[in-house]
Parts: sequence; C-alpha cells; structure tokens
Amino acid sequence: MPGRVPLGELLIVDTDVHVHESPGALAPYCDPPWDVALRAVADVPERYLDIPGFSPGGDGTLTARFPTSHEATRMVHSPEQMVSELREIDVDLALLFPDHLLKIAVLPQADYAAALARAYNAWLIEEWTSRHPSLLAAIVACPQDPADAAREIERHAGDAAAVYLPCAGLDPLWGDRRYDPIYDAAQNAGLPVLLHAVTVTSPVFPFNNHGFDTEFARHSTSHTFSIMANVISMVSTGVVVRFPELKIGVTEAGISWMPFVCNRLDKEYVERRREVPFLTERPSHYVKRMYVATQPIEEPERLRDIVTLIELFDGQDTTMYASDWPHHDFDHPVKLDQVPLGDELRRKVFGENALTLFGIDRDGRRARR
Amino acid sequence: MTVVGRVADFPEGTHRVVEVDGRSVGVFNIGGRFYGLLNRCAHQGGPLCEARSTTGTLVSDGWRLEWAHEGEIIACPWHGLEYHVPTGQCLAFSHIRVRTYEVTVVGDDVVVTPASSRRPPAASDR
Repeated sequence: MPGRVPLGELLIVDTDVHVHESPGALAPYCDPPWDVALRAVADVPERYLDIPGFSPGGDGTLTARFPTSHEATRMVHSPEQMVSELREIDVDLALLFPDHLLKIAVLPQADYAAALARAYNAWLIEEWTSRHPSLLAAIVACPQDPADAAREIERHAGDAAAVYLPCAGLDPLWGDRRYDPIYDAAQNAGLPVLLHAVTVTSPVFPFNNHGFDTEFARHSTSHTFSIMANVISMVSTGVVVRFPELKIGVTEAGISWMPFVCNRLDKEYVERRREVPFLTERPSHYVKRMYVATQPIEEPERLRDIVTLIELFDGQDTTMYASDWPHHDFDHPVKLDQVPLGDELRRKVFGENALTLFGIDRDGRRARR
Repeated sequence: MTVVGRVADFPEGTHRVVEVDGRSVGVFNIGGRFYGLLNRCAHQGGPLCEARSTTGTLVSDGWRLEWAHEGEIIACPWHGLEYHVPTGQCLAFSHIRVRTYEVTVVGDDVVVTPASSRRPPAASDR
C-alpha cells in the first residue's frame, strides 16, 4: 500500500516471543533440592519441548512422525540471538515467554513447580531482560502455589513488564478464587497478566483432546479452547470485577473467537444473570477490555475480514501484534501487514496498544507509578 | 542463461540456493534430473529452498494414506507449506504455484534459464 510508513520505521512491539530455558541453565538459579533434579536431566537428549521431569509430553508427540523439511523445532538460546533475529523481522520491543515452562501447570509437585518458576524468573531477568532494554520479562506465576507466585510478583515488580499465566493442563481454570493473591499482587504492582497455552493432552478440560486423531485437530483447538475457557472462567467468577484495575491479555489464540465469546456470554446473561449478579455490565463489556495478541492471525481469503473481526469486538485499542518467534507457527509482521488496517489502526495494533498494556514508553521503559 | 555451478556441486538428492538475475533460486538434483524453484514461499515470503532436504509426503488414495513423491517435496522451513519441486505446485492450495526454472546440464556446467513464463498467482497477491 503506497504512502505508508515502512514496517522498518513503524514501532513494532511483539507481545509473544519465546526464550529457550534448559534445565542446566536454570539449575544455578534453583533452590535445593530441586536444583539436583534439574542437573539430573541437564544432559538428557532433548526432544522438542519434551524433557521428562521438566516439560513432559506435548505438541506432536502422539502422532506418527514422517520426514519433513519444515524446521518446526527452532529455539532461541541467548538474548543476543533473540535481539538479532527480532531485528530481522523489524521488531523493536518484545515480551519474553518461556519454551518448556509453557507446560509448568502440568507438573504435579507444587513445591517443584514453584521452585522452577522462581528460578526461571530470576534467570530471565538476570540473563536476558536486565541486559537488553528491548527485551521485556513476562514472569511466570506458578498456579500450583499462588501465594508464592504473589511473592514473586512483588519481588520482581520493578523488573517485569507482565505476569505470565500458564494455561496448558491448568486445573482449576484461572477464574478460581485460589488465584486471587496473584491478581491482587499484579494489580498492586501495575503489571498486566497474560494468558498463554500450549498443546498438551491431559485429563484436564479443555486439554482432554484424546478424542482427536490428528495434531491438525489438537493444535487447531488447544490454544483457542483454553483461552476461551479461561476468559469465560475469569468473567463468570468475577475476577474482572474483584480486580477492576487489573489488565488482562491473552496470547496465541488468534482473534476470531472473540466475537463468539462476547455474543455467547451476552446471550446467556439474559437467562442466567442471577448466577453472576456481581457483573454490573453485560459480560462482553469485560471481555472487550481484555487485550488480544494476534498470532496465529487468521488467514481468510478476504483479508478485510480481519478488520471486520476486530470491529466485531471493538478491538481497535486492545488488539496487539505478536509473532510467537521462533515457534513453528510464527507470524512475520508482513503477514499482518497485508491486512488493510488503515494508518491509525496499523500503528495501534503493531505497537501502541502494547505500550498502553505494559505501561511503557517506546524505549521499553515503564512509566513511574 | 546463468551457469550456477558444476554437476559435481549438486549430488543426487541434494539442492543448493543460487542467484539467477538477482533472484534467489533453489536448484535441485532429484534422481539425476535438475529442477529450479524460486526461493520464496507464497505464504509469508519464507526462504522455501533453504529447507534442509527434500522428502516425500503423505497423499491419500481414497481413505488410505500413502507415502509418495519421495525426494520431490520441499516444505518451507518457516511454516511447513509443501510444494512439489518439479512443478512448483503447492500441495495444500491448488491455486498456488511457485515459479519454476528450467535447469540443464551443458557439458559439465549446470545452467539455469530465467523463467519467461507468466508468474503464477501467489497467495500474498490476492
């Protein structure tokens, strides 16, 4: 489209990229006795995001494996590599999520999970974000130990840009009151919470996806169903009312489910308001306040449909670009830039909405609170 | 016509990315025959021919899956969109074909002829 600012000159804030945290790298940051367990698996030959006792099971491990030249196992091992690769795709600021710890919620030992979360948060800030101002930390909130997660948020309030809420294998969903300390701490710290799932097969809703034959089906649904379930959970239990200043964002689910959830909840509210009398507005009011990362952006034949989708959930001020670099289904900025967003919406989606969510300036610095 | 190397530079079952008239092109030796394919995926512009090696793929005969086209399929390293190298045809979307180049062996040289055919439509053009 002629006359537009080139992507290289546009502020691009990437709201979902992934660092590769190996057990050996986290071990020096991990409290005993769990550091011993990390060292014990440090040299295990790594299958993609699948290490026993660390990130068990996962994406594509159930279906038959045939040869392919698709490089579906890209990893970023250092902040220098990350900065260099993000520069290639014109990203200026990026929020860092983990690789293996996408599955932290499936770990059955609460003390181990909490120790892993503490180790990851310290490692991420020490080795990545404190040394590179363009890299922003999403510290992980361990769902198995909400009190410890709240302490972590307080501890890192000055260094983090967001709090990452893991969703894969999570039980119960993020609307449960046991998680209130996490929301209280995040709200007090002025940090947004961002939900992120990954494909696993587990007895826990909505990851009980063993009925599907293919990874095509499992991966089509895992992220999106999980985000939908958690958004509905957080509205229906009143998280959005109990923590009115808390900013909530969701990642890696695309955007086309948003109009459905808004409309469906509003429809049910007509009949079942008495179950959620604490909602003072129609349910879609709360859903529409959430920030939505675009990746994996839908690829309809009519690209204008993406603009329509954003309009359907009034997402002009809440939709944010994400690449999911370096994962197999990442979105290059050029993909989203094929959508006829218009100049203002383009600026907002590629960068300005994320600055608002994180409360940062164009250099990644947080405003004083 | 551009000489892109010697025959010995392209052992059977391998491919290399070369430059032809300012364009990046993958040159493939599949079973002793040479093929050229534009090094740009129609999906998000990924470096299609920088994929490590060609493979076969799964096709269906009725409801039975078969492993077919051994050595003739390249999946883009970025997102895995598959193409049939000899024809440039995308397997997932019938309307997508990546530009192919005629590759011949002249003496000991591998020679690429720049495509003069109309560029097939790409998803990103629509």
